[in-house]
Amino acid sequence: MLSSQVSCRLGLMLLLILISSTAFAHGVDDSTRSFLEQNTGVQFIPFLYIGAKHMLTGYDHLLFLLGVIFFLYRSRDVLLYVTMFTIGHSITLLWGVLGNIQVNAHLIDAIIGLSVVYKGFDNLGGFKRLLGWQPNTRWAVLIFGLFHGFGLATKLQEFQLPEEGLLTNLLAFNIGVELGQFAALAFILIAINFWRRLPSYERFATLTNTLLMSAGLMLMGYQLTGFAVL
Amino acid sequence: MKYSVNLTTLIKASLAALVLAAVALLTLILPAEYNIDPTGIGQRLGLTVLAQSAEASPVDPESIPESTASQQVIEITVPANKGIEYKLQMEQYDKVTYEWMTDGGSLYFDLHGEPEGDTTGYFESYAIATLDTMKGSFAAPFNGSHGWYWKNASTKPVAIQLILNGQFQIIGIKP
Repeated sequence: MLSSQVSCRLGLMLLLILISSTAFAHGVDDSTRSFLEQNTGVQFIPFLYIGAKHMLTGYDHLLFLLGVIFFLYRSRDVLLYVTMFTIGHSITLLWGVLGNIQVNAHLIDAIIGLSVVYKGFDNLGGFKRLLGWQPNTRWAVLIFGLFHGFGLATKLQEFQLPEEGLLTNLLAFNIGVELGQFAALAFILIAINFWRRLPSYERFATLTNTLLMSAGLMLMGYQLTGFAVL
Repeated sequence: MKYSVNLTTLIKASLAALVLAAVALLTLILPAEYNIDPTGIGQRLGLTVLAQSAEASPVDPESIPESTASQQVIEITVPANKGIEYKLQMEQYDKVTYEWMTDGGSLYFDLHGEPEGDTTGYFESYAIATLDTMKGSFAAPFNGSHGWYWKNASTKPVAIQLILNGQFQIIGIKP
């Protein structure tokens, strides 16, 4: 209980610090950009596609998902945690765009990197070993999901999306993100379930999660430097 | 989740993650992304080129043709319920004086510039409003394409007369 309260409070603090300064453009390619700028009215399928593509090519989101399901052996748990993540990022994606919440994309992406570091460390049992308690993993997935959602929102907010049809387009984007997530998850689960049957899975679990932590640190360094110099 | 490593392994793993990340950042990622190269390895690997080409490259006065300094009058039609982008190629610090007016209604517009060679989708807006005429000038903050995005929210086409003076080359309407 204590752990979930602490992670709740930490998450809220980080949120408040970040709701400031301006969004910065990156992460969407040229053709998508000109489409987003010139589109008018409801464009359900295109937004669905952009959402799915963003998720499937978003290595930061995928690394976090990989970390989350690494030690989830029961499909019920996979479903539960992925649902928590989905609720988290959907809330802030919709809220961020509709409420026009301006957050700095580099800082958000750095926190997304932190979420990957956290999950790698958590998978190694690091919190229990080092601090004697483990932050509630469900709350953590939900709260980091909120940051992933802001990350998605900043990618859309670079554009003056027309008010007309905004809600529908946004929902299409959101559904696209979930479709992309499930497609990615399917591949990850197939690979991981196959690997789990081999003795090397346990043997390489430490190495895999160390690499996960390292990749998260790289994302953080990359984004924080971007925040500092740009 | 019962998996847990002992303290020594945990510390080793965390340090390894940190060292690996630091090495990758300092020698590969930062040189390639931002042209920040504290070790000089990025330069030797040729990675800093990637970041340099995205930045405004120093202008070699002989290699580029003289920017024209003459008045041009251009007619542009924005179809009903459509937006179009009209761009000028400008070098850094080139200056343009402009005036445009529509034949009727107001248009939403975004006067902005995109750095040359940029693939991230970054752009900088100089003016955003909804008007039927506007007069002004700007100096390009970087090499690249600069110009207007006009959006016609009405149900009939709107014609724009655009008068340009200064140093630029016309790219025209972007598809």
